[in-house]
Amino acid sequence: MSQELGAPLAFLTAAAADGYRDGSYVVIVRTREEFARWLREPAPGVEWLQVEGLLQDQAAWTIAAQGTSKLPLDVILTDPATEFSGLYRLVDTRVVRSVRVSMPAAPGFMKALRLAASLQLPVRLLPGQPSVEALAELAEAAHFYLHDPMVETPVEFFHSLLAALGGAEGDTLWMMLEEDPKVFARDEARRPRDFVEKHLAGLVEQGAECATCQWQKVCAGYFKWPDPAYDCAGVKQLLSSIQSAADEIGRDLASQETATS
Amino acid sequence: MSDRVFSVILLPTAECNVACDYCFEHKEPHRLSMAMLPLLTRQLLDHLEHEGIKECEIYWQGGEAMIMGPAWFAEAGRLMDAAAAARGRRFKHYLQTNLISYSPAWNDVLRTMFGSSLGTSMDYPNLHRKLFAGGAEAYTRTWTERLHEAVGAGIEVGVIAVLHRGSLEAGPDRFYRYFTEDLGLKSFQVNTPFPGGPAKAVEADFDLDKGALAQFLAGLFDIWMERGHANGVALGPFDALIHHFTGAPARLPCIWKENCSNQFISVDSKGTVAQCDCWVTSYPESFFGNVFRDASLTEMLRTSPARQQFVERPKHLVEHEDCLQCRYLSICHGGCPVRTYSALGTMLAKDPYCEVYKAVFGRAETHGRTLLRRRLLNGAVKPAFHHAPARPAAAAVP
Repeated sequence: MSQELGAPLAFLTAAAADGYRDGSYVVIVRTREEFARWLREPAPGVEWLQVEGLLQDQAAWTIAAQGTSKLPLDVILTDPATEFSGLYRLVDTRVVRSVRVSMPAAPGFMKALRLAASLQLPVRLLPGQPSVEALAELAEAAHFYLHDPMVETPVEFFHSLLAALGGAEGDTLWMMLEEDPKVFARDEARRPRDFVEKHLAGLVEQGAECATCQWQKVCAGYFKWPDPAYDCAGVKQLLSSIQSAADEIGRDLASQETATS
Repeated sequence: MSDRVFSVILLPTAECNVACDYCFEHKEPHRLSMAMLPLLTRQLLDHLEHEGIKECEIYWQGGEAMIMGPAWFAEAGRLMDAAAAARGRRFKHYLQTNLISYSPAWNDVLRTMFGSSLGTSMDYPNLHRKLFAGGAEAYTRTWTERLHEAVGAGIEVGVIAVLHRGSLEAGPDRFYRYFTEDLGLKSFQVNTPFPGGPAKAVEADFDLDKGALAQFLAGLFDIWMERGHANGVALGPFDALIHHFTGAPARLPCIWKENCSNQFISVDSKGTVAQCDCWVTSYPESFFGNVFRDASLTEMLRTSPARQQFVERPKHLVEHEDCLQCRYLSICHGGCPVRTYSALGTMLAKDPYCEVYKAVFGRAETHGRTLLRRRLLNGAVKPAFHHAPARPAAAAVP
């Protein structure tokens, strides 16, 4: 895929997506009827369906498990602490198509993360500007992702961040979380394509802690949005724990290389 | 068409030719008639078509399936396979039998319909599987003869052993040697017992101390890893667990599936549909419907209140039990509904063998890690750094 070179990926409601011809796009479905229709007739250019508010609808997931197309799904949880057990409804669907679960890092999200991981569902955690409670849970989630051998599927943003901090070609958190408007044109945000660069430049100019932050390159001011006064102390601890894991993996690999050479 | 597989445990008869003490099945002299088979087949194919599923596994058992005779099976297989092929589907047939009435007359149908393999059962020591005349000793003698005849005819035989107090008293070493050395088997599996159906005195022999059972299974696991694993002996469910813990594709037994209600049903000779053979033979209150009377199997499964309990069980367990905190949730999901129901009178609780399973999973994890380390040191596998998935849609996205 070369989204970065072309038009950004559009996120469209089912109604707006009808007849859309301007390149790749994601369709947001919010009713069983919309879901069934886009599963049945996935128009060219549809990259995936963003499924909102349908997790409790057993009939919708019966339809999704019928495999009429291979169209991937991004299932959005808005309140993971109460919705988590509904993830069992995705068991059949994930056999016939790729299914990812996205959820805010709201208190109680660990339940959904644990269950999603046990069902081998990739997860995208949306941290926003995490509260103290959410930060504690994010630390628990990072430990779960990094150290629990039962976790077999990627948990974003940890997964991409670990790779970036381990030396892989790195994106920013905006990109890892699919919020960089250069690539992801989410309608609700309506940010200019150079939003991230301008946002970071503004923060540095205003003397925000980003100016001297060791995570500046990968974070690019992610945690300073929308409130530029957000205190990043807890976030830095979280990033530090992932950096430590990346360093440890790097050391292990180096010693393995030495042992086998 | 999807990669999902739907399985049917099909009981062509409830009749049986032996008299095992612990059998919980209601043995009626009723057989699936060839006249009804097209209707059953059509219902199954309609359901597969509706769900977009290409393949259906049919597990023929009973009662005693061989009572139907090889000619009946040959005709049933021909009829079902032709109907499936005409609709672009496929049936894959498996046979579970007590082997007592096996003879060379079965070899043709075993080769053509069942891929030259079958499943059977034997315990060690055999105290409870009995012939009507001659008891357990005669059963063991006859079964062993049939086993060797079948193996001699090129039939691959897998054996299921149900553990009882005598097994635990004999110990894992003797138990393992019975199946691998005395019988010369290369494939067998151990099942935990459960008291299906009406209560019987013999069930006390199967009410095993969970600690002793866990110890037995851990010991058996160690023995298999030491002597059998690298030498081509398959011992279920340990082999599937080792696959899982070494990153290989693993087909775990139904008791540990995310939700067995999604994956199979059982149908008896009268068309009764329930979750599995244990339910269809023992618990009328849990029947989903009747495939000969209901207009649509799909609709029956969608609307059955009894089935809804199975569908909702895993959700209930992660909400109300401690399963969500368990490190083995991904390979257990609260265990088997029928083991739970038969012990507790409700399926909305975790499997009473929870602690036994944890002991087995722990053993599997330890052995799996040892194997991975060994492979790593031998250079078979080189660790790879996780790379960030490509953006935007190739991998990170759903």
